[in-house]
Amino acid sequence: MKNRSELIALFERKATEVAEREIKGVDESTVMSALGIDSLGMLELVGTMEKELGIHIPDDQLVGLTTIKDLIELIEERAAA
Amino acid sequence: MGDSRLAEKVYRAYATFFDQAEAERRWNPYRDVPWGEINREVSDDLILVAETFCAVESYLPDYVAKGINLVRKSFGQAWFAANWAYEESKHSIALQEYLVRSGRRTEEQMFDLQDRLKELEWKLPFETARQMTIYGCFQEMATFYIYVRQEARAQTEGDGALRTIFRLNARDEIAHTHFYEDVVKLLLEEDRAGTLADIALVTRGFRMPAADLVPEYDERVAVMREAGIDRDTFLQKVYFPVLKYLGVTRRELVEAAEADRKPRTAQPYRTGEIETWRTTTLGSPRRGKT
Repeated sequence: MKNRSELIALFERKATEVAEREIKGVDESTVMSALGIDSLGMLELVGTMEKELGIHIPDDQLVGLTTIKDLIELIEERAAA
Repeated sequence: MGDSRLAEKVYRAYATFFDQAEAERRWNPYRDVPWGEINREVSDDLILVAETFCAVESYLPDYVAKGINLVRKSFGQAWFAANWAYEESKHSIALQEYLVRSGRRTEEQMFDLQDRLKELEWKLPFETARQMTIYGCFQEMATFYIYVRQEARAQTEGDGALRTIFRLNARDEIAHTHFYEDVVKLLLEEDRAGTLADIALVTRGFRMPAADLVPEYDERVAVMREAGIDRDTFLQKVYFPVLKYLGVTRRELVEAAEADRKPRTAQPYRTGEIETWRTTTLGSPRRGKT
């Protein structure tokens, strides 16, 4: 399993692909909506991360994610499950 | 399955929809709303919600003109568009009647609002019939959910007239949602890869229409979110349920989006597909609602 820095790097790479513009400077406190990716775009982004990491996050757990930290903790939890 | 078979299935879906509408959902905004149960003291927020929906529904001529042209070659879809327009017109009439009869707006204010609305023109948010049908699923479902929430709110605030309007509108909206969903299911049967690509595209580009049309829209949206729907609610109550009904997973959509992103500059099969859709198959009008 990747560490948090690697997960953030993966997030930036996938966000750049989905948003089709460079996204960097992300840290755990970054609010996802502040990146200019709306909630539906975020679903696609999270989906690409799930695919790369080989995990599955249930739909209902994707609701309420605000910061990158929220997402990373969710990924870690699902990876450990 | 060829286009003619698909068209037959869509027409049957429309016939079922229309039969149920005639048997169970017809109502008259002047006669079936208990106008004597208006509470003139309901909150300003509730009035703003009613006015916003009235405004968004007022783009009906644009929705009809542009939407029906997209689907005019599909009998079932085109006739659905006509029926849809009839039902939506009642929503606008009922809300406008409410605003005036409640004394919270004057007729002059409502006509003024209508004039301001006409200065701008609604445009199709997506260009193909299939994309617009998919868009319709999400938009109608969102509208249904908001109306349901507002119905409860009107009940809490003791306004039987507005409660009834929201209830009747919501009942129409969910019927429209189911029709769109049934058509998208047929489209998935016909061309799963192409339809998934379009669902991914609509997902990516989805936004509440009329955001750039209705006056003071940002303030209205703030009230609407407070009153019933935010992004998480949209996912929970609208997006995921629609996907579930369609039998589509997020994983499939991610793969479709990835496939679309990589060769975006050269996709001969998709270009042809879209052209086919534009000229021969299904779709629906869509209107702005929040």
